[in-house]
Formats: sequence, structure tokens, C-alpha cells
Amino acid sequence: MTASAVELPRQELPVGHACLTGWAIHVPDGGEGHVPAADYARELLGRKGLLYKEPATLMALCAVHRALGLPPRTPRSLAEPDPRTAVVVSSNLGNAETVTKVARTARVASVRDISLLDAPNASSNVIASTIAIWFRFGGPNLMVCSGATSGLDAVWLASLLLRTGRADRVVVVGVEPDDEISVALRRRRGGRHAPARAGAASLILEPAVVGAGTMPALGPIAFVSDREQLTFADHETLLVGCAELAGPRQSTVDVEEELGDLYGALGVVQVATATALIADTDSAAADTATVVCGDDLDGWRSATICQPRPSGVDP
Amino acid sequence: MSALVAGMAMRTCLGDGEETFLALLRGRAGVGGLRYLDGPGLNVLRGYHIDAEGPDEPAFRASGWLTTCVREALEDAGVDPDRQRVLAIVGTGLRELRELERWSEEGGAFATDRLHFGAAVREAAPGIAGVITLSNACSAGGHALALGQDLIELGEADAVVAAGADSMTASMLAMIGLVSEQPAEQLRPFDAVRGGAVLGEGAVAMVLVGEDAHVRPKARVLGTGLSCDAKHETAADSGGIERAMRDALERAGRAPEDVDLVIAHGTGTAINDPLECELLNSIFGRDAACPLVTALKGALGHTSGTAALMSADVAIRCLREGSVPPIVGLREPIPEAARVPLVLDHWGFASLNVVQVNAFGFGGVNAVTLLEATP
Repeated sequence: MTASAVELPRQELPVGHACLTGWAIHVPDGGEGHVPAADYARELLGRKGLLYKEPATLMALCAVHRALGLPPRTPRSLAEPDPRTAVVVSSNLGNAETVTKVARTARVASVRDISLLDAPNASSNVIASTIAIWFRFGGPNLMVCSGATSGLDAVWLASLLLRTGRADRVVVVGVEPDDEISVALRRRRGGRHAPARAGAASLILEPAVVGAGTMPALGPIAFVSDREQLTFADHETLLVGCAELAGPRQSTVDVEEELGDLYGALGVVQVATATALIADTDSAAADTATVVCGDDLDGWRSATICQPRPSGVDP
Repeated sequence: MSALVAGMAMRTCLGDGEETFLALLRGRAGVGGLRYLDGPGLNVLRGYHIDAEGPDEPAFRASGWLTTCVREALEDAGVDPDRQRVLAIVGTGLRELRELERWSEEGGAFATDRLHFGAAVREAAPGIAGVITLSNACSAGGHALALGQDLIELGEADAVVAAGADSMTASMLAMIGLVSEQPAEQLRPFDAVRGGAVLGEGAVAMVLVGEDAHVRPKARVLGTGLSCDAKHETAADSGGIERAMRDALERAGRAPEDVDLVIAHGTGTAINDPLECELLNSIFGRDAACPLVTALKGALGHTSGTAALMSADVAIRCLREGSVPPIVGLREPIPEAARVPLVLDHWGFASLNVVQVNAFGFGGVNAVTLLEATP
């Protein structure tokens, strides 16, 4: 741990645990007609190096590309990896289809019928490590697969990496594909869920002191096991909820109702949505948003995001 | 800053933690015929299994071992998740992907929520505040230790269960079969005639608490360095691993000469072993300057995301017993190990204070942990 990191006093963090300096939502087939994830990826990332990457990995790369504000087809960096930028990805089913395909091929044919290029995709952390390689991020690299809470778990771990001085910048991604296996598995979950949807979102988190007073800030993330224990701020606060959250308070924005079931991507898509809403100073939206995701099996997480306004100015 | 290990529990192919350590000191390997899966078609014939023999593959094996280990470790630590704020971080390479494979082949019951380990931990600790499943390949357990210590240091939890669980999947066995010329008999770390990877399985749970907790600690976790190579998916890169090793020393506030023993990643593959030797020499120096180096995968198999915590469990027993197990399966060391003091025979009465645990994963994710003896 570097000296500066150890001495970073927590009380100096003005509003929260981190500030959000970039965000993007990447839901490829959101427009008219179905456009495969790979077509979007070729448009945005360029054509080279995308072969044999799974849809979840392609969507994740696109989301990061956009959150970083890079122009389309920006050439990939060949610099030495940046050891101070970390990556935290949430996805429950990103490689589920590859795993079942490889297992089936080995059973009905022979391992010689499996492509060696599928090898990286057999490991569940392929999305996180591919982002690191693509953008040259050499800091801690985490792949979270925690179920319904996974997206906000990833955001929480990202803030942890900043607070312990393990990184100066964390790239967070939530992504879930809509292949046959992923859709079938999501249908098997209990609870209320919209139809499965492919989608990704990315957030760029930096220490709260960096953008203090200007950028949207992320507050502490609460863990509760029971939905009855969820607490909500006053009704001025936007509540970015999910289909499963029924009862305690009506959601202002239900991301899943708008887009579909996002499972491991949900928490990150919610934070990106909340950030975009409150950062839009032209809109009449509130300055503070609460994000809630989870279910009764995996537990619940809630996060608060607020947009600091200039003091003394009454909007 | 540091954290204390207040309790721990383990299941490997050689038994529980104590049984495993005794078997390791005797140089035993827990390898046998591959069970449940079609060996010849996979080009894999051997594995380091846990279960008693029987033709039928039990369901949710990794979850079952994990539940047992979490229950035992919390009891060992005297930590009650109903009365204290406890979080769990479970490191895994393969989650319950084996159950996903079986469901896709055979159909039947499979709850999507059981692909990760929340339910398995809650079965042992219903009052736990939260469970995170971290799928960080072969260094996942080291990442769980790192984040567990961070949470203790920041006061976000009274105790953290850093755990690991993995069972073999057909897809990972197939990948090993695909890259092997012929099936390996046994995993041989740092051996000149290495056969390649042979999978193992099991679970570990370790309960971490703060320095001010009223416990009789097993050992102290000084720090874990984390890095990502960010160079290549499957080939290890020296730059990333070296950064993790230096980060660990810096976080722990220790110099290379303070390290008495290294439990190496030692996968018995051409990718890992020469590179790991080169880095040990570059960080610590050669010959007598380099600490003793042992490795467990020859005895326990490649246990994926659980490996780092298995090494940590054994490291703590080395610190407490003053004994170091040999590298099981090693016959003739690779030339790159010429100036690395590999432990070839059981090493007794060693004066050990600090042990380093190396873990490097698929995708270039590295975790290097330093553990220290406590009185």
C-alpha cells in the first residue's frame, strides 16, 4: 500500500465513497429490429481482435469504450498496462452457453472437436480479463457472479478498491447475454421478472476527492437480507428499482420494466441510469437517487448517488 | 495494517485440514482415476477427487463442502453471524458450472440461484450480512483474502469469511484434454518431465477478524498484492506477477529477506513453472538468499479458485508446526529451478515467521499473500 493511499483520510471524502466520472449504457438491440452484438462491436471497436469473443465480452468492451468517451474505432493502446486502473465486472451467465457447448462436444464427440480459441471463454472471468487486455488496465481485476445483487456488489467492490488505495480509477461493468442458455436459466429464477434482455453498462469510478463538488458521487452501499429492512429517503429522491422490488415504495424508474430482465447487469445499469438522470442539470430530476437491487434469495443492496449543486443557489 | 485468522476449515482429496497437512508431510498424493466423466473421450484419465467411491456423481458437491467448511470455521473462530456483522467472499474458478452442464445434458431440477454460493454459505450461517461470489479463476481465493482483509481494515465488517470452493467441470477437463498430448498420470510441479495439469477439488473457509478482536489467532494476514497482467488471456506474464509480489511486500511492510517460505503456484506446466522460478530469483535473489519453496498441486491437484486458500491453510500449519511439506510428485527439477531451494524432502524444525502464497490465474489475474506467525 502506498503511503498516500494509507493516509487518504476518509473524512475528506465529501459526499460519498467515490465519484462517477463516466457512465454508459449499451443495450444493443434496443432500437428498431434486432442488431447482433457483434455488429455493434465492429462499428464501435473496429474489426480486429473480435473473433471468438462471446457476445457478453463484446457488449462489455463496447460499454467501456463508450464510458471512457472514446471515438468509434479508436486504435487500441499498445502502451504498458496502467497498474492504477482496476476492472470489476458483474455477470452471472456471460459464459454459460460456452461452458455447456464445450461439455456437450466433449461428451458426444471428442475434445479434438473443440476449438482452442474457446479456451479463454471456458473461464468465467474472461470478460474482466479481456477488458484489462483490450484497454491495458493492469490494476486488480475482479469478476463478480453473485446472482441478483451482483451488479451492486461490483460497484461496492470498486469503491472498496479506491478506499484502500488499490487503484486510482476503477472501470465497472455489468453485462448479461440473451443466448438460449442464458434466457432459459433466467426463466428458471423465482420471483417477478421481465423477459430476459441482453445488455451492458459501464461506470468509471474515481476517488471522491478528484471530482469533489462537481461529479455525481456514490455513497455507501447497504446490505440487507430482507426487503422489509430496506430504508428509503424522502419522496424527493428518485428510486431506481427493479421488477422484484414491490411493496416498500413505488419505483420512480424501473429499469427492468423499461429494458427487460438484466440479472447480473442490473445494478450497474441502474447506477448508470440514476447517474445520467441526476447529472442532467437541465431536467427537473432530483439531486439524489437511491438504487435498489436484489431478491429474497440473494439478499438486497441499496446505493445512493447524488449530484452536488453549487451551494447558495436555490434551484 | 493487518488482520487475524481466527478460525479455519478445509476439505481436500487428502481429508480435512489436519489430515491434509499430515499426509503432505508424508509425501502422499491424493490422485486416482477420474470419476463420473467419460475419461478416454476427454483425454483426461486422472483426478484428485474427494468423494468416497461410488458410481453416481452427487449433486452440488462444491456447495456441500463449502457449507461444511464455513460452519466449521465459524465455530473454530467463535464468531456468530447472528450477533456480529459478518460478510463472506467466496473465491471460485468454476462456481457450480458442473451442475449447469448436467442440467443442459440431462435436464431436471437446477435452480439458477445455485450457480453461485450465496445459498451454500447461508445454509451454514443464516445470519450473515452478505455473500459475494468472486469468479477469479485460479487465484480467486487469494483475491477473497485480499478483499476480506480490506473490509476488516476499513471496519466494514466485524468478521469476514474468506472462502473457496471448486469441483471439476467437464468443460475444464475438456480444455485440459485438448491441450495435453497424452493424459497426465499426476501433476508434477517444477518437474523436468512435467505431464501437465490434473484437476483437484475441495473447499476452504478462513475467518478474518481485526487486530483488536478477542481471539486466539492462528496467524496474521499481513497483506495481499493484486495485479492483472493485461497482456494475454492464457499465457502468464512476468510484469504482472512481479507487481503483485512487490505490492504484497509493500502492503505488508516487509522486505524480501523477511520471507522464510514460499508456497508456489507451481502448476507443473511449461507456461508457469519456469516463469515462477525466474521471478522468485529476481525478487529474492538466488540460492541461499531465496527462501524455501514448496508447492501443493502435486499432492492436491490443481484446485482452481480454491488453491490459494488451500495454500494459506497449509502455510498457517507450517508456521505453527515448524514443518514444511515436500513438493509431492517432483522427481527432477527443471533447469530454471537450479538456484531455487525447492523442498524435495519433508523439512522439519524450520524457524518460520513469514510465508508467501502465490496464486496466478487464467486471464493474468494475480494474488500474492504474506502470512505471519502469531504467538
